Amino acid sequence: MAMFKALLYSQWKWARIIIVLGTLAGFALPALSLQGAARADRGALQAQDLLHAVQSWGTLYPLLAAALGLLVAITTWAPDHRGRHVQALTLPVPRWRYVLLRFAAGMTLLAAPILAVLMGAVLAAVTATIPAGLQAYPFALAMRFALAVLIAYAVFFAISAGTARTAGIILGAIATVVVVQLVAGIANLQLDLVSTMQVVLLHGLGPLAVFTGRWMLVDV
Amino acid sequence: MFRRFWLPLLLGVLASPLRGQDTLVDRLRIRADSLLRTWQQAVTIANLADSLERERATSGRDTIAVGALRIITNPSPLPLRQAAALAWPAIESLYGSAAADLAERPYLIRAADPDSSARRVVLHVGVEVPWDLDLRATTMLLLTTVPVAPPDRPLGEWLTGGLRPAIHPREDRTAVYLELVTAPSQATRGCFLGDIARCIDALGLGDTAHLLERWYPSAAERRAIVSQSFADFFNHGDNVQPFRECVAGRDTSCTALLRSLPPGALPKPLTEAARVSLVRDALRLGGRDAYRRLLRDPETAIGDRLAQAAGVGVDSLVAGWRNAALAARPAPVALPWWAIGVAVGWVTVFAGCGLSSSRWRA
Repeated sequence: MAMFKALLYSQWKWARIIIVLGTLAGFALPALSLQGAARADRGALQAQDLLHAVQSWGTLYPLLAAALGLLVAITTWAPDHRGRHVQALTLPVPRWRYVLLRFAAGMTLLAAPILAVLMGAVLAAVTATIPAGLQAYPFALAMRFALAVLIAYAVFFAISAGTARTAGIILGAIATVVVVQLVAGIANLQLDLVSTMQVVLLHGLGPLAVFTGRWMLVDV
Repeated sequence: MFRRFWLPLLLGVLASPLRGQDTLVDRLRIRADSLLRTWQQAVTIANLADSLERERATSGRDTIAVGALRIITNPSPLPLRQAAALAWPAIESLYGSAAADLAERPYLIRAADPDSSARRVVLHVGVEVPWDLDLRATTMLLLTTVPVAPPDRPLGEWLTGGLRPAIHPREDRTAVYLELVTAPSQATRGCFLGDIARCIDALGLGDTAHLLERWYPSAAERRAIVSQSFADFFNHGDNVQPFRECVAGRDTSCTALLRSLPPGALPKPLTEAARVSLVRDALRLGGRDAYRRLLRDPETAIGDRLAQAAGVGVDSLVAGWRNAALAARPAPVALPWWAIGVAVGWVTVFAGCGLSSSRWRA
């Protein structure tokens, strides 16, 4: 536990600006997406306008989630990479436990923006005048945001934890797909790798499926 | 003596403009008759041309018969027979006994080679489709181009389009639900909240007088229509000033502008999708002869025609339609439990990748 606290504190020092800004943005986004909904002159007839506004602002949630996951994962490993992991290697803990503690510490820090989104969404939903037929989904939105943040963090944590060789393999695989797609296009072959990858990654059971879908604080 | 002489003269002078008016009326009547004769001749020639074109399009073709459907087509790999077998139950369930009339109104379909650039004879009847359409697309084609006789003018105008079998009934009802929730009209909102009289108004089934006030009773709604739906239309010429006044919040200008619209141009609070779904409900309730009853008396009000077709009162019909629309509410945005499980699983997988990085291996 003492080790976890020490790692958490060190990570907080490295990532506090990101966490604070992310928390503020997460808290403000729901209120901004419902701006004007609480105005007395809006009336109950602007359901369509309200949905359009909520949908437009909704695109920012997955972006914020991805940015938070990326930046926190990078800051988690950046000092270790800079110090060539000498400090980590001197610690009296197995390597796997050290990595697990780093991962858990990052996730703990990310709880702040997730809670901020939840609180902002609940507050915005309570204070807004929502037309009949529409409903607020603050908990569903916060849950989606939490999963997206954690997935983004886990993906970039794994990439950051890897060696330059691992990063090269991943980039090489992506480049191979692009090249094969280009060659197939030139050869007029019915091969659509990009769309297939898109389906595999973004739909159904895909790892990034939670990023797609409707990020709506208010919906029918 | 004086009076005996001048009185006929005076009457003659007074009557001369009336005589002139009679001449004008006669002249216009002659012109109208001439126009009617010309129109009748044009219709006859058009019918003849259409008949000849049909003869040309159907000669040397095969006829596929499934139920009362008749499809005249050229030999091709197009799966028309299988598609017709799939389409016929949907068509028959909508039109009922009237679907039997389709035996006299065949589809004319020309299947063409999509890869050929050879010039083909242009036909002005029927449809031309590539012969590599799959079964689903071919069935869609048959369902969306049912060669049923067009409805009478009042029904056609009320529907703002044709009546076709439902291809995605659930999605159609969901679209109606979304309209009920989001349409910027108090009539529609009242309908959503359960006021059947408002539903009847919003569907254009009740009193058609003062539609503007019935559909859009508040000043905010009228301003929204003018500024959003008709901004380009009104922001010209003489209408610029009242348009600006309307946008600035003067309701009398908004009302005057909307009243100046031609009949039928006022945006309906519920679109044709809602109306078509109501007609489908009426036909489903009314049984096999419902479509014939619907078309029986074009002079009757649409609401009464629908009630006759359905065999229930218009209030009951509309209430049932509304309940069905509310039951088709789209799925909420909440994540399903399995998606949460999948996401947690992926977090574990990626965390495992981080743990098993080659950097940590001894």
